[in-house]
Amino acid sequence: MIRRGSLAFLAAAAALALLAFVRDALGFPVFYLVFLSSIWFWTAQATSWNILSGFSGYFSFGQAALVGVGAYTTAVLVGRQDWPFLATLPVAGMLAMILALAVGGLAFRLRSLRGEIFALLTLAVPFILASLARILPAIDGGQGVVVPTPDVSDIVGGFQELLYLLGVAITVGALFVAFLVQHSRIGWGLFAIRDAEDVAEGLGVPTFRLKMLAIGASGLIGGLAGSVFALQIGFVTVEAVFGLTIPLFVIVMCVLGGRDHWAGPLIGAVIVVTLQDRLAASGFEGWSMVILGTILAVLVVLAPDGLVTRIRRRPIAVGLAVIVPIAVLTLADLGDGLIDRLAVGLAIAVVVAFTPIPAWTRAWVRARPSVRGATAADQRVTTADRYLVGTTVPAARPEPTPVDPAATASTEGPGPHAIEVVQVAKRYGGVRALDGVSLRIEAGELVGLVGPNGSGKSTLIGLLSGVLKPTSGRILVAGRDTADLEPHRVAHLGVARTYQIPKPFESMTVRDNVAMAKMFGRQPVGLEEARHAAERHLALVGLADRADHRPSGINLHERQLLEMARALATEPQVLMLDEALAGLNPAEIDQAVAVVRRIHASGVTIVIVEHLLRVVNQLATRIVVLDQGRLLAEGEPTIVMQDPAVVSAYLGRPADA
Amino acid sequence: MIVIQAAIAGALTGGLFAVMSVGLSLTWGMLRVINLAHFGLILLGAYLTFQLATDLAIDPILTLVITVPLLFLAGATMQYAFDRLALGEFNSLIVSFGLLIIVVQVVSNLWSADFQRMDATVNPYATRALTIGPLAFPLPTLVAFAFAVVIVGSAHLILTRTYPGRALRAFAQDRPIASAYGIDHVRLGTLLAGATGGTAAAAGMLFALGSAVIPTAPFEWVGIVFAVVILGGIGDAVGTLLAGLLVGAVSGIVSVVVSPAAAPLVIFSAVVLALMLRPNGVFVRRSP
Amino acid sequence: MLEVVGLDAGYGQALALEGVALRVESGEIVSVVGPNGAGKSTLVNVVAGLHRARAGAIRMDGVDIGRMAGHRFCDRGIAIVPEGRRLFPRMSVRENLDLGAYRRGARAEREATLEWVHALFPRLAERGKQLAGSLSGGEQQMVAIGRALMARPRLLLLDEPSLGLAPVIVDEVFDVMRSIHDAGVSVLLVEQNIDRALAISSRAYLLLEGRVTMTGPAAELRASPELRRTVLGL
Repeated sequence: MIRRGSLAFLAAAAALALLAFVRDALGFPVFYLVFLSSIWFWTAQATSWNILSGFSGYFSFGQAALVGVGAYTTAVLVGRQDWPFLATLPVAGMLAMILALAVGGLAFRLRSLRGEIFALLTLAVPFILASLARILPAIDGGQGVVVPTPDVSDIVGGFQELLYLLGVAITVGALFVAFLVQHSRIGWGLFAIRDAEDVAEGLGVPTFRLKMLAIGASGLIGGLAGSVFALQIGFVTVEAVFGLTIPLFVIVMCVLGGRDHWAGPLIGAVIVVTLQDRLAASGFEGWSMVILGTILAVLVVLAPDGLVTRIRRRPIAVGLAVIVPIAVLTLADLGDGLIDRLAVGLAIAVVVAFTPIPAWTRAWVRARPSVRGATAADQRVTTADRYLVGTTVPAARPEPTPVDPAATASTEGPGPHAIEVVQVAKRYGGVRALDGVSLRIEAGELVGLVGPNGSGKSTLIGLLSGVLKPTSGRILVAGRDTADLEPHRVAHLGVARTYQIPKPFESMTVRDNVAMAKMFGRQPVGLEEARHAAERHLALVGLADRADHRPSGINLHERQLLEMARALATEPQVLMLDEALAGLNPAEIDQAVAVVRRIHASGVTIVIVEHLLRVVNQLATRIVVLDQGRLLAEGEPTIVMQDPAVVSAYLGRPADA
Repeated sequence: MIVIQAAIAGALTGGLFAVMSVGLSLTWGMLRVINLAHFGLILLGAYLTFQLATDLAIDPILTLVITVPLLFLAGATMQYAFDRLALGEFNSLIVSFGLLIIVVQVVSNLWSADFQRMDATVNPYATRALTIGPLAFPLPTLVAFAFAVVIVGSAHLILTRTYPGRALRAFAQDRPIASAYGIDHVRLGTLLAGATGGTAAAAGMLFALGSAVIPTAPFEWVGIVFAVVILGGIGDAVGTLLAGLLVGAVSGIVSVVVSPAAAPLVIFSAVVLALMLRPNGVFVRRSP
Repeated sequence: MLEVVGLDAGYGQALALEGVALRVESGEIVSVVGPNGAGKSTLVNVVAGLHRARAGAIRMDGVDIGRMAGHRFCDRGIAIVPEGRRLFPRMSVRENLDLGAYRRGARAEREATLEWVHALFPRLAERGKQLAGSLSGGEQQMVAIGRALMARPRLLLLDEPSLGLAPVIVDEVFDVMRSIHDAGVSVLLVEQNIDRALAISSRAYLLLEGRVTMTGPAAELRASPELRRTVLGL
């Protein structure tokens, strides 16, 4: 995929570059180069925005800051320090990247940073830079900076050709970066962050590092394109680079084009630049912002997923909708030149793409495998296979059977316990959620963690998975204190959890949800290998025949099973199931219980938090009862449930009443 | 002396920021809507003040009689639409960004993209100042400060003393329970957003009183106003006044002592610091 | 007074209640017991208008209120003391109580009701100006009950009122419940302290996995070995 992609990008760059040299021979006026250069600039900016905001979901209003830093770096160095233009290009890119990393380093470290706060922070950045530039004479001083046109060698041709070639180089490069990100672990991690950041971190995704990578790449691309922009406009002013036009344009382009695909910004930029150009040509330039503002507001409410997904659903129809009108208009010699015809074609294509697909074709489209998933035919596992895989796993890993207490005891060897909780307390403000709890979980156990509402079960799960940190006491996973570890590092130590309300990555297929976890596990693997391994985990929980569905297309029971498969893909030593049976009907409960037994039999230690005591009593090798933040009792299920303290915690009366 | 003058003058300017911020802060805190279009309403308020005062040759402050009801209606309609579309906090931010851009462009098309200023004959406030000993304060900032105190004061009284005000606060703290006790959020939310539109009219008038108007002015306000909202505590009316004064005073002092260029940097750092240390606002008295 | 028929309710795809039928007559204390996650909270939330049912009817004095807007349930004489109290934490005790009397029908009698609430919980009179969020758990529960009484309900819904409270406070809460009942307010009680709940009620329902599995006079349920077996999962 990536090798083929690289070649395609190289070929596209070469073909586009060639256009600059053969333009004269083809008889195209220079104006077309200017038009295309504008498309390149905006595509690069939109791609820069999309790598961060589209992929990771952290919406930025601060694109102008990157353009501004890039443009001013070049303007000041070329215009005032007499640097050659090409030497300023990398400096501009680096400075914009440093700025982006600084903003990211601050913002992403904020406790519970919410998307809105990030958006507002980025909104403020260009404003601050603008006032700095306006006031500091060394940068601008309110005068603007002239960027002299550099000497252009004869091989390149004229100045417009130079701009065009720079634009092609940077934009194809940017698109290629976006393509690589999208098809690598980085992109998958970013998508996971966008869909459910806390889950991603819990599955082992280093979320902070990925967000920094994205914002750094975004800064570099934005700065490079901004540097060329300085040359393009020739006279850099605060208004030209720090206004809100830039964020508005890139956001509209990406929302319109589609934010979860590298090509989205390109599609959006082509449409918006063409629209802008035609509006200007017909004297309506003053209304373009009104139109773009309206497009943005309407799209966010009605079609937030943009064009890319729609085009990929019916590429032929949309493609024809562009080409046929252009051909017809050209043959009939209607419209003022190519751009007019292109505008008509694009308009028709947009309408076609946004028209709902008729019901009879929809069924056919659904039957096809998802685009992001691998083809279904070679990966679908038959029912027979499912059980084959399910039964071969325990054989591969000699581990104690769930109900054999002797086997459980035998694992209490000299090695560290799977999890050891030592005198742990957790307070929120004045409330004690947990108070001096000590607990050991041995490898091979199936521990039922029960207790009335508010007894501290959820807090304990949060502490064990590393999301919460104890107020006092220690938590050891495989002998290692987790106090200073981020949740994804705790995940790598071998602790995984499921959520009572399933939180799948909604934009990925069921298989890719599991593959995601695999890719970021202790031994990171590539996508293909991860997808292959995902089949095994899906088979273990009995979801193999749902692998190509989206999470929104499966029922709650299956979503719970997906939670389990995804957690299993991290290869955990200990799997914590948080109310995995809540809301299921009796038949589904029985099925889920069978799955839990299979998982346990495959050698995974399980901690199950569950309200359905009937089920826990059957399943667990040991029961731990919490009440009001304290450890009330632990031991063999039927014995523990007769314990007077436990009975009174549940019934509010002594056992003999 | 010059520092004291700068601090006081700055703090008074902060009154304008407070008027711009208070409605934004309340609608964010109570209704979970981040309404960037509020800046568009302020801009409209400023231009309407300019136009009405010039055409009718009346005192600019009197234009509020017309602009407040108009922008009340605009704010209320917008909130009603947001509510109907069930826009979340985040989508409201993006949609209202689109609306803001539309307003800016429309204003620019109607009134030109250049600076415009009320004539001195129409606007008696612009050139006057109040002198106390060695200190001089321009009249527009004094008027703005007075408005800030009155608006924030009445907002505070309404929120703490009246049933609808308390209901709004309750709604902000626990929506479902507030509803279970009979609080109709659609009606109250529309009212609050309308009142916020009214404050936008006042903020626009106050801005036009002291400065020349230009369609791109909102982009100058956004940074400072959000700094004030976040420092003051989202949804805290009195907090926005205190934060407005603080931000104004700090800008004033930093501009004189260091350099005007450093002022936005100081404010921005203060916001980041506030977000890290006091995410609920700097002036919140007791944590919940 | 209250009659619930064929109630289905859930969250997303999860079904929390299935075909639940229940009634509360005027002057009764009725309790709903059952293990965690059985759907008890969902049931009271649906009756309070906090959560919408998928199917079935909720009749108050014979009128189906299930399709009404959530904020109009309290006008029918229903008030809830929700699980975990859910006070307005950044408002004073007095403001919390006043908000209970927000509905028009209750506003006029505010002063008189406040006297009653202060008589039931003398401590609330002293704490009037304190922020609700800064109170102890027991005091918060008193405010929560007081807030509900301020709405002058004819049917009071109590969701786990003893949860997380010290035994002494639990005694006090149950005493107050009795005096509220004596004042003519009917009570629908959800409680995990099953024994105490049954002791105070006239009738009870056992809810299990979203369905009513036992119902009858509270004393009968209390004596039933079946109840104990189901709740402990034995």
